[in-house]
Amino acid sequence: MSERADADFGRAGVAAILGLAVAWELLGWLDVSMFVPPLSGVAVTWWKLLGDGTLAKAASSSLVSLVKGFVPAAGLGVLLGLAMGRFRTVRQVFDPWVNALMSAPLSALVPVLIALFGVRDTVVAATVFMFSFFVVVVNTTAGVRATDRSLVEMARAFGAGEATLFGRIYLPHALPAVLLGLRLGVVQAVKGMVVGEMLISLVGLGERLIYYGNTFLITELYAVILSVLVVALLAAQAVQACDRALVRWK
Amino acid sequence: MVAREAGVPVPAAGAVSIAIDGVSKAFGSVQALADVDVRVRAGEFLSLIGPSGCGKTTLLKIVAGLVPADRGRVTVGDRTVTGPGPECSVVFQDFALLPWSTVQKNVEFGLLLRGVSPGERAERAQRTIAKVGLAGFERAYPAQLSGGMQQRVGLARALAVSPRVLLMDEPFASIDEQTRRVFQDDLLSLWSEERKTVVLVTHSMEEAIYLSDRVVVLSPRPGRVHQVLEVPLPRPREGGDVRATAEFARLVDGLWKILRKLQ
Amino acid sequence: MVLALRTASVVGFLLLWEWAARVPISFNFPSPWATLSALVALLGSGALVTATLTSIQSLALGFGAAVVLGVPLGLLMGVVRPVGRVARVYLDLLIALPTAALVPLVILSVGINVVSSAVIVFAFSAPFVAMNAYGGVRDVRPRLVEMARAFDASWPQLFVRIVLPSATPMILAGIRYALSRAFVGLIVAELLLSPFGLGRLIMSSRSMFEHDRMFATVLWTLLLSGTALAALARVEARLLRWRA
Repeated sequence: MSERADADFGRAGVAAILGLAVAWELLGWLDVSMFVPPLSGVAVTWWKLLGDGTLAKAASSSLVSLVKGFVPAAGLGVLLGLAMGRFRTVRQVFDPWVNALMSAPLSALVPVLIALFGVRDTVVAATVFMFSFFVVVVNTTAGVRATDRSLVEMARAFGAGEATLFGRIYLPHALPAVLLGLRLGVVQAVKGMVVGEMLISLVGLGERLIYYGNTFLITELYAVILSVLVVALLAAQAVQACDRALVRWK
Repeated sequence: MVAREAGVPVPAAGAVSIAIDGVSKAFGSVQALADVDVRVRAGEFLSLIGPSGCGKTTLLKIVAGLVPADRGRVTVGDRTVTGPGPECSVVFQDFALLPWSTVQKNVEFGLLLRGVSPGERAERAQRTIAKVGLAGFERAYPAQLSGGMQQRVGLARALAVSPRVLLMDEPFASIDEQTRRVFQDDLLSLWSEERKTVVLVTHSMEEAIYLSDRVVVLSPRPGRVHQVLEVPLPRPREGGDVRATAEFARLVDGLWKILRKLQ
Repeated sequence: MVLALRTASVVGFLLLWEWAARVPISFNFPSPWATLSALVALLGSGALVTATLTSIQSLALGFGAAVVLGVPLGLLMGVVRPVGRVARVYLDLLIALPTAALVPLVILSVGINVVSSAVIVFAFSAPFVAMNAYGGVRDVRPRLVEMARAFDASWPQLFVRIVLPSATPMILAGIRYALSRAFVGLIVAELLLSPFGLGRLIMSSRSMFEHDRMFATVLWTLLLSGTALAALARVEARLLRWRA
């Protein structure tokens, strides 16, 4: 998949979103379908849910699971990715697993997680971990492997040892790829968070989605969907901010 | 074989002259070319040389009809250039081959675009492929070929449409020197069979002198015709010891002195 | 040497699984052997086959629509720049959004049937097809366009002979990635909708505490998606033989 500066919306972006908002409001007004409420109605409901604490409670539970799942995924993912990128044997052993699992419908494993952990919020964190881990690994590996061979040879010629090589050559070069992997990983993590929460239907934004769906509260449903989107975008932006702060030299 | 009269080669029937009159071109605030006048005789081999930024590639593209001139006029034969035309063929520095097509299909490309029938396309392409020395490689893909071979495909593609004018943009720049020398000789012998008008853009003084009848030196920013050199070396030059002659060295040195002042 | 290590890792995984079942990690956690026998039983009874066929229906409908609609959209986006600039904002949002969040909405509006699963599969996969086709068009080497123009190619000729072949590798990669997302969407849809397909089989087995059947179905699902993706990768490799 090609990766572009997708946080830079620009004029076209603003126009597109405004256009969508206007169209949505219009369609809602025209009462095209009971499933398309006007955007203003959704906004009012969203404000209400924010006020009575529903959103805050659900969102905080979701975010806790997100952090509990993503932080280990990021940490372990980068470590494994570095090892796989650096050492051919490690790569050859783990590559099939990582590639197979990265394209697998991991949502199918959520019932397995439920069997393992029971119907608890740990399942959500585990789902988050699962969804994001492999993306981080793959991107980190690619980043390390893309390091210019001639630079490595140069450093070796100057007598650099393994630790120096890692710290001064491989890591700085892999950093952009690692950060890309983290950004993609966090988006996947949010998806995992929602899927996990919807399947255990106990806590968090995912549970709210199921609840409002079951109770036909359409505007509330839209409000939560938009909240979920906001969480996903904010999470990606957070990683992108780290990206910009750390990779000034590129 | 081509007739000779007092050392001036007679072009084959069908070769056309190129007239470049007062051509100027700017890109934004950068004046690439200013008031360039060049006459290319029919059947002549002419090189364009000059320091970086002198606009020689831009001039070639204007003749090819790929870039419009801001001012001035280019006439190829009796056609005023307003866009790409059937008499001109271009050979590119980075080969510009279609990576997903075989050598055969690549050479057929120009013919395909002109609506030539499949049978005739295949036949003409095969003949040209043999002429550039790549017989047997028709089914190979560009990725499987060396740089020199890829450029031969590029040349074959350009020749397959039977152009009157061959425009070459630093065609040998991406090729190693030994392959380059062989290729240059092959180009000359191909050209001697059918004296098309050739305009070649190059960085190499040695190449310009070796291949051409005349060398046009452009000065940089903005590009202008600085000087035109005659290359009275006898033909055929391929396969001989032209490079070892004193005359050759004198011409190259003369060209170098001109260029050095322009740096 | 590599083969030995890989075999060792598979064996290691199986041993870990067996240990987890024996400990037991949790109530009724099935062992590899139990899972395998359950798989055989399910295949024999035909339950797995029926469920697979139903799931494949939704997948084919949704994914097929994603390709048929997504590729032209992506091409249009690439060729007509303003369309591209605007549409990519929507696609970026769709890709960032956890698509599973749309499932309750789809269930409410479309109901619980093959079409709603197909719609969810479509939502999961179509944005990637379109974005990759768009990227493929944008990444066409300008030099090749210039070369074709030097031969006086017309706009339709440029599109068919240069843009399309150039974009094909990215389009195919996008389709392959979209297929993996389509499977994700399929499973999410069926786990949440429940009434049919592999998802139903997984959920019903779980609620009846038949964990070995559930594990077996999950394993089968993973094998299914893996095979489909591998097959697509083979097709892709054949079409892109010309790459170095």
